[in-house]
Amino acid sequence: MKNTLILLLLSAGMLGGCASTTTIDDYRPTTELIRISSEEKVAVLGRRDAGHYETDGKFIECIGNQLDGSHFEVVGEQEFVDALYPWFEPRTAPKGIKRLRKLMNDPYIKARVNERNIRYLVWLDGEVESAGHTGTMSCGMGPTGAGCFGYASWDKNVFFEAVVWDLMDVTEEARIRVDAEGTSYVIGIVAPIPLISPVKSQACQGMGDKLKSYFSEATG
Amino acid sequence: MTDWAAKAGLLVMAAISMVGCTTTAHVQVEQTFPTVVAEPRQVSAAIVMDQTFRTYQAFPLKNTDIAFGTAQVDLWGKAFRGLFQQVEVVSAREEVSPDTELVIIPSVQEVQLSTPSQSYLNVFEVWIKFRLDIETPDGVPIDSWFLPAYGKTPDSALLSRTRAIEGATVVALRDAGAKLILDFYRIPAVHVWFEQRLAAVDP
Repeated sequence: MKNTLILLLLSAGMLGGCASTTTIDDYRPTTELIRISSEEKVAVLGRRDAGHYETDGKFIECIGNQLDGSHFEVVGEQEFVDALYPWFEPRTAPKGIKRLRKLMNDPYIKARVNERNIRYLVWLDGEVESAGHTGTMSCGMGPTGAGCFGYASWDKNVFFEAVVWDLMDVTEEARIRVDAEGTSYVIGIVAPIPLISPVKSQACQGMGDKLKSYFSEATG
Repeated sequence: MTDWAAKAGLLVMAAISMVGCTTTAHVQVEQTFPTVVAEPRQVSAAIVMDQTFRTYQAFPLKNTDIAFGTAQVDLWGKAFRGLFQQVEVVSAREEVSPDTELVIIPSVQEVQLSTPSQSYLNVFEVWIKFRLDIETPDGVPIDSWFLPAYGKTPDSALLSRTRAIEGATVVALRDAGAKLILDFYRIPAVHVWFEQRLAAVDP
């Protein structure tokens, strides 16, 4: 009975350690919702111009999936970048509204955007960092079997920023920053048992929900 | 299990491990590229892509070759159509039509590859240096323009070496197309040629 209680407490402690903290900060120039009709589309893109990191493709996909259940259609990154080649490549993609305005003044680019009904652009930028690796684990194999013994833990920090641009009015509509952190563990008791903190999926969920809350259906 | 069977099993395992450790990669890039969104200018140009260019194979590292001839023919064909209203792609200089105003001969000067084992970064990187020889139909050189292009994989995790190099090469080729569209008419010699041509057409 006593042993079971200790084991339960230990497990609870470990699982508690896996929890992550997510902070969402957002900025909008207005409190009005972003109007989008069911025919209009939102494209979700990742920044690729930083030297030491690239926005995680899986995170971009996750945000796209989060928005996908809305009343509007979501355009995938590759589809958008191909449709407007070469203006959204790492070398040419607009970094700010001023450059976007220049692009949207080009009748060829404007026509392509209108033809595809792409109204808003969500730029994602950020990365996942692992730090604070502690503990050791050793695995071995012998004639009688194999196994791992030990304990390892590491911290995961996630930060992502989303910027929403209106391609028709050429304005910035919203800016959201999400920071998430959590500690993951692997315990080796013969078999390695991973207890992974879901920082990235929580950051995606938080950012996706926030983005979704900005959009409302435009009628008429 | 007999002793002989155990030894044979060990040998097979060792052989598999050794194959897994070799770093030979034959990369064949067969990507098609999107059409360019740009207003082409009223110029008729001939792009000379010879057999060497069409079947180009780079050897950036020992035991690694990248064949991207087919992919670059597709890329350059589409990219030049975003610059000039009439584009003729030919295999030799002699095949250029007489009414052509500009002749461009692209070639690959150098290909470099960086792998995670060299750079200690979790990415594969590819650099391609192109040269565009720009001439008049009579063979008078206008300029030789060097065009560097760069591509990398977002993350090499879960990618095979071949897939990662192919991915980085495709990104580098897309980058070359982007640089061409962005900078071609900014080349001083081309700018002067274009202005002179405009003045000659509409004095």
